[in-house]
Amino acid sequence: MLQPLISVGIELILWLAIFNATDSLTIGGFDRNMYLAYVVWAPFLGRVGISWMYESMMVEEVASGNINIVLTRPISFYEYYLSQLMGYKFTTTIVSIIIPLIITQIYQLPINYSRLPLAFSLVICYLFLIHNLSFIVSTLAFFMTKVKSFTLVKNLSLWLLAGELVPIDLMPAVLAKILLILPFSSGVYIPVAYMTGRCQIDLIYQGFISVFVSFILSSILCRLLWSKGLREYTGTGA
Amino acid sequence: MSYAIEVKNLKRVYKTYSKKEGVVESIKGLWNRQYTEKVALQNINLQIEPGKIVGLIGSNGAGKTTLLKVLAGLIYPSEGEVSVLGFNPWERDYDYLKQMSPLLGQKNQLWWDISARDSYALLANIYDINISDAKMRVNQLAEMLGCSHVLDTQLRRLSLGERMKMEIIGSLLHRPQVLFLDEPTIGLDIVAQNAIRHFLENYVKEYKPVVILTSHYMDDISELADNLLLISKGELVYNGTVDEFTSEAKISKKIIYRYKNDTKEHELVYESHELSNKLGEIMKQGEVVDLKIDEVDFEEVIHRFLAKESGLL
Repeated sequence: MLQPLISVGIELILWLAIFNATDSLTIGGFDRNMYLAYVVWAPFLGRVGISWMYESMMVEEVASGNINIVLTRPISFYEYYLSQLMGYKFTTTIVSIIIPLIITQIYQLPINYSRLPLAFSLVICYLFLIHNLSFIVSTLAFFMTKVKSFTLVKNLSLWLLAGELVPIDLMPAVLAKILLILPFSSGVYIPVAYMTGRCQIDLIYQGFISVFVSFILSSILCRLLWSKGLREYTGTGA
Repeated sequence: MSYAIEVKNLKRVYKTYSKKEGVVESIKGLWNRQYTEKVALQNINLQIEPGKIVGLIGSNGAGKTTLLKVLAGLIYPSEGEVSVLGFNPWERDYDYLKQMSPLLGQKNQLWWDISARDSYALLANIYDINISDAKMRVNQLAEMLGCSHVLDTQLRRLSLGERMKMEIIGSLLHRPQVLFLDEPTIGLDIVAQNAIRHFLENYVKEYKPVVILTSHYMDDISELADNLLLISKGELVYNGTVDEFTSEAKISKKIIYRYKNDTKEHELVYESHELSNKLGEIMKQGEVVDLKIDEVDFEEVIHRFLAKESGLL
């Protein structure tokens, strides 16, 4: 509860300061309230669509050999952590959505609540892709040490690529076009832009396709790395 | 006869990256990696019948844990064939995993932050056990182990002995046909060790799983095991019954003696035909003021056998 409150507070102060410092009523064609709506909802969806905690746990399990416990039970490592991740996200999302809802009401921010279900569906699909990426990072621990640094680099990159740091429509046109084709914008930018009216439903559909294709490709990589990793594995620590 | 476990010409080689000292060598290692190979197991052939308890013994690094890992499906063998209940363990077929259970004495397998009873409910789901059957089995096992009163306590708050009992219940909940017990009594006091031994003995009599047991406490092996597998330097150096082993070992007695003006007692283990010679040797070295002949216990026989195999004796 505290973490999203602080991050939303920081972003709100930042954008209020930017609008106070500029003479213009709009930036990039959007007014102050549009930005405030973006900065209130982007960190919230950014938290939903990330799994650094479970990724760290997965990496640690492989590196320390605690994965032996899962490997000797009739359950897959992938499913074991996916179920934990989804359970955790379900609970924390219900609790932390209160903050953007309250702030939206206080500032009367332009949020179209009828678009919320579709935007959320995209984030949930994106979460499966994120789990695949976490799984890929964790399988690297079969081959190398200090894998946790990949988690940090990956999450910092996603912060930018998803549009959580800066709305993608403020970026240079070519870069924005590339980022919208990549699946990562489906974690934050596309759903928030759809809810706040910055984009229309066609971008949501594009997001679903991009996430689906990336999920299939990353699943193939997951399988390859897992099979190869198990061949390398020496049952560390047992 | 059909065997529960069959191993033919098993070999496992560990290949490890060998990095020379210094930063320059570390950088060179990025494109020019040097590897060293260590043979952890070789020429392993064994057959184990259902319902047997087999003691797996070897000094540190002898290969016993590697053998357990291969049988449990944690690692692939480099060569050879392994069949456990008709399955290739490393394929990790769910039908195999549902019939197998490892119990690693030094690792927690239950969830640390919840009660054992909650962990068992999760395990019942993982192993597709009917929840009322699972509850009945938990109560039955807890009663046998005398630990029903701590089933609802968070695992992290239990003593080592209680925790080990909880782990045992967790590993037996799905009534496995094959059990790999790696140091099940490590760190426990004598009372807890005896309770667990007694429980395992009764459990195996009732449910007849194959048990492969490793332990540094030879009492575990001598009291529980039907058969012995002794491993030294990655090779099986003995495969037979415990009784045959002790009778073949010949060293069943030892002379305990003390010289005049010496406070320290000395021990000399001998084979039965050597008694006269050994006594003569002892007498030559000084005036003996105290002497007795005692039985050599199982632990000492094993230690001497392994030391001999390792070239230390």
